[in-house]
Amino acid sequence: MSKSNKLFLEEPELIAALQQQKKIGADALYEMYSASLMGIVSRVILDREIAEDVLQEALIKIWNSIQKYDASKGRLFTWMVNVARNLAIDKVRSKDYRNHSKNQDLENHVNSIDEQMSSVYKPELLGVKDLLLKLKPEQQIIVDMIYFKGYTHVEVSDELVIPLGTVKTRLRMGIIELRKYFK
Amino acid sequence: MENIKEYIESGILELYVLGDLNSAESAEVEAMSKLYPEVTAELEEIESMMVKVADKFEIEPAPRVKENFLASISFSDEEEIGAEDAIKEAKIIPINHSKLNFYKLSLAACLALLLVSVIAIINLNKNLKDTRQQIAQLENSNQSFANKVNYLDERVNKNEEALGVFTNADFKVVNLIGTPASPESKILIAWNAKEQKVLLDLRSMKIPKNDQDHQYQLWALVDGKPVDLGVFDAVEGVVGLKAMKSIGMAQTFAVTLEPRGGSASPTLEKLMVLGNI
Repeated sequence: MSKSNKLFLEEPELIAALQQQKKIGADALYEMYSASLMGIVSRVILDREIAEDVLQEALIKIWNSIQKYDASKGRLFTWMVNVARNLAIDKVRSKDYRNHSKNQDLENHVNSIDEQMSSVYKPELLGVKDLLLKLKPEQQIIVDMIYFKGYTHVEVSDELVIPLGTVKTRLRMGIIELRKYFK
Repeated sequence: MENIKEYIESGILELYVLGDLNSAESAEVEAMSKLYPEVTAELEEIESMMVKVADKFEIEPAPRVKENFLASISFSDEEEIGAEDAIKEAKIIPINHSKLNFYKLSLAACLALLLVSVIAIINLNKNLKDTRQQIAQLENSNQSFANKVNYLDERVNKNEEALGVFTNADFKVVNLIGTPASPESKILIAWNAKEQKVLLDLRSMKIPKNDQDHQYQLWALVDGKPVDLGVFDAVEGVVGLKAMKSIGMAQTFAVTLEPRGGSASPTLEKLMVLGNI
């Protein structure tokens, strides 16, 4: 991939650069993770421009709150993904985003939401669908909702009327399947 | 050990990595991770899978995201350079503006100055002409004043001279009065017999104006014989004494009108004035 051309720092170096607020840290953060984080934000927010705004917000938040990151609790990327995903979810649940989506729906009432999605993110979404097709049907929806769409397991439990424990184990089994796929 | 496996298989570690746990649950996972390497290993597995999935579904954001991101944060190392750049940029624009304004203003000022200068030059030129005219007038009047002064000076001198003559006891004043041929005429003569001076008083002269072909001639009668004392023209408004030819003896003075240049002997028909001593 094009990653070889990009600025790359080993994780401890990157963390140090970010903590010291060095410019190379910001450059490396962007080069190494902006596309991945954009992919994650885009799972939750379909509108590309809004997704980009949220990504920008997430990058700034990562930069400003890097001191809150604790390396002993997990990888930097995991922390960043959670920052980005939480912002995306907050956005989706905000009033103005819901209004925006309603307007979009009204404007595009002929098209179904699925068509909208595929017209914008066709290759990626097909990829996600392909990936999800590797899972058992009962795992697919839970992995998609929690892993790709950012629902909490409590919400999924409420929405699908499945016990919390079942949500968790199905998520786990699904993710184990994905792990196999990526090995 | 069995408990740990159960714990791992519960799916709580996935939720932890996905950030879907409350702080108490998260603290529990972190504590378990410290106690059990299996938990740590499992967490790492889940995380690296997440990275791989994320890598697979990368979407390149628009360049504006990078620009906005880098523009809205500050750096510890390049802060000064960045700040300098910002200052430069911030300054360069106003400098350019102010330079442009400066040139515009300068041009406007130059044009205004030029206009004012031209007007001033025209005015000055007009003033200069006026002044030159005034100077010429003043020179003229000065000249005429000087002339007048000279004239008056001359008159004063002549009057003084005349006064000197008329108050001098050596001079005899002889009144020549009009003959029947010219009864209005009269001429005053001052005669100094000692110095043989005969002076004609021009100021008191009253005699008809002679033409270009004739002149008056003064005669002295010495023992009945006329002696030529010179010619003169009739004047009016002139002061001074006109010196005539010398004579030391005379009984009578007479003036006749003669052809210009005078005659050898008087034309008695043209006897104008006559006075005995």
